[in-house]
Amino acid sequence: ERAHGGPNFMMHSGISQASEYDDPPGLREKAEYLLREWVNLYHSAAAGRDSTKAFSAFVGQMHQQGILKTDDLITRFFRLCTEMCVEISYRAQAEQQHNPAANPTMIRAKCYHNLDAFVRLIALLVKHSGEATNTVTKINLLNKVLGIVVGVLLQDHEVRQSEFQQLPYHRIFIMLLLELNAPEHVLETINFQTLTAFCNTFHILRPTKAAGFVYAWLELISHRIFIARMLAHTPQQKGWPMYAQLLIDLFKYLAPFLRNVELTKPMQILYKGTLRVLLVLLHDFPEFLCDYHYGFCDVIPPNCIQLRNLILSAFPRNMRLPDPFTPNLKVDMLSEINIAPRILTNFTGVMPPQFKKDLDSYLKTRSPVTFLSELRSNLQVSNEPGNRYNIQLINALVLYVGTQAIAHIHNKGSTPSMSTITHSAHMDIFQNLAVDLDTEGRYLFLNAIANQLRYPNSHTHYFSCTMLYLFAEANTEAIQEQITRVLLERLIVNRPHPWGLLITFIELIKNPAFKFWNHEFVHCAPEIEKLFQSVAQCCMGQKQA
Amino acid sequence: GVCPLGPVPHTTDQLYQQAMEDAAWHHMPHPSDSERIRQYLPRNPCPTPPYHHQMPPPHSDTVEFYQRLSTETLFFIFYYLEGTKAQYLAAKALKKQSWRFHTKYMMWFQRHEEPKTITDEFEQGTYIYFDYEKWGQRKKEGFTFEYRYLEDRDLQ
Repeated sequence: ERAHGGPNFMMHSGISQASEYDDPPGLREKAEYLLREWVNLYHSAAAGRDSTKAFSAFVGQMHQQGILKTDDLITRFFRLCTEMCVEISYRAQAEQQHNPAANPTMIRAKCYHNLDAFVRLIALLVKHSGEATNTVTKINLLNKVLGIVVGVLLQDHEVRQSEFQQLPYHRIFIMLLLELNAPEHVLETINFQTLTAFCNTFHILRPTKAAGFVYAWLELISHRIFIARMLAHTPQQKGWPMYAQLLIDLFKYLAPFLRNVELTKPMQILYKGTLRVLLVLLHDFPEFLCDYHYGFCDVIPPNCIQLRNLILSAFPRNMRLPDPFTPNLKVDMLSEINIAPRILTNFTGVMPPQFKKDLDSYLKTRSPVTFLSELRSNLQVSNEPGNRYNIQLINALVLYVGTQAIAHIHNKGSTPSMSTITHSAHMDIFQNLAVDLDTEGRYLFLNAIANQLRYPNSHTHYFSCTMLYLFAEANTEAIQEQITRVLLERLIVNRPHPWGLLITFIELIKNPAFKFWNHEFVHCAPEIEKLFQSVAQCCMGQKQA
Repeated sequence: GVCPLGPVPHTTDQLYQQAMEDAAWHHMPHPSDSERIRQYLPRNPCPTPPYHHQMPPPHSDTVEFYQRLSTETLFFIFYYLEGTKAQYLAAKALKKQSWRFHTKYMMWFQRHEEPKTITDEFEQGTYIYFDYEKWGQRKKEGFTFEYRYLEDRDLQ
């Protein structure tokens, strides 16, 4: 948070001022009069291009009425205007309900009529506040107004509960976003701060905080102009972390409902919308999904195979992936296999400092052995089935140990391979987790590995070798069955499938060294056997036939 | 779907969130909520049979496509879809077909013959124009087209 008076402060003061009702007498009437005047001016023919003529006349009126005297009065004016626009929308909706014969298009037009005028007034006030070059006052005003609208929304949401309507707020936010992204020099100079203000607004209104706003919220964050500005237009990818945060907000909201697989109709619609947004991002901004895959996978429940596959299938556009079905494909000959992927999430931060210290010490000295035996209790957080483990900590541990192992092998002047990854402190940890954890823990552990099986890079290669090695060296069939399960369940869903996942699974069923087909679980039930045959056919048959 | 880790009962917060989302689902955002007002052709979604075209043909948002439309269609787009990309493309296609927009009369004109007079300020002769009130093409003889009313911005 910036110092007192910064944009964040302005937004939060706006939010808290939205609930102050000790208005000076007569102010509501003044605001009502002014807003009505402005709505008429905005729609009049003489308003001029972008309402500029009407605006200069209107600012005079605002002065006359004493609204522009103090910041406090201006703030109150915005709050009262927002409340009036919201009230008009509720009245219009009520009219629709009481009179079903009324034309719904006209009802909506009535809401838009007022909301659009109010939005233009905000946009003009922001644009013309202070000197032309004074960006600070403009941005402060924008944050203030957004804060006020947020405050009014949250209060309305809490008071009206299931009667809450998204429409007025949705339109205020999207129209203001469009107005402030017009191709104009003044606006271009403050564009990044404008986007930051909107990101903060959307983050405050995330669905866990305002669930009644969730559909409008998803529309806002997936609007084509917003995505284009955040991910394409803003230089140096400065918009990427903020946009990633909004997606994480969405996944966090969905997680408890998705993990239980009892999806209500409204939840299904929201899930479908999420899939669509991800498909757009996968197609248009694959590098974005690549860079933030770790943070996303950390919050998506393990059973959401397709959601995660969309993220894990992303790869940089300049890369050509070799067809995984090519016979005798030599993965270790690919030059990309030595290049590490970018991870833009600080995953080591999840580890408690003492745990991280002990871990580093073990990786360095391969002692004490007690570190391994205590590992399980460090990862386990409760005894409730289904909630036993700290999933974020397992994910962090797996990726950290893997990246340390890669660095260690490189330092020895070698590259990761089936033989160089073995017999090390790093592999001790992985083998110990595979043997020592219960079914739930092992499932999460293997998923953490499978989350790294993506496009050709050093992590994919290392973790592919690790998964195969764990299969080969397993002391019980249960481990092998679970590895097979984790790989298979990510492949029997519809496309896309991550490249590294396919490579790993094909190696497992093709390479006779793994004796895959000799295992009991492959033949445990006729439908499972059929499934394996069809997957094997799909993986190997096509090209050879 | 599968639930490998077993269901976990929802917290009070989550149940509240679900109830609020359910309520919101009954009045989902309408496509027009996030669009500029369309005065004449507001959106009016309704179920259409699957054997009808659900999507316009591909590449129908290019100026080449617009040039294949009749002038009347282009005039309709120009007057009834104000402020949209469609209006811009229609204007572009009309210009390519030698129509010129008169900013005072707000109508499109096309030379019917070589003008009788051409000066630096105006040209005079017989023109075809499109009358948006009568909704049809008209001919005007001896019309003076003052260049200061000529919309001559280069549409990129």
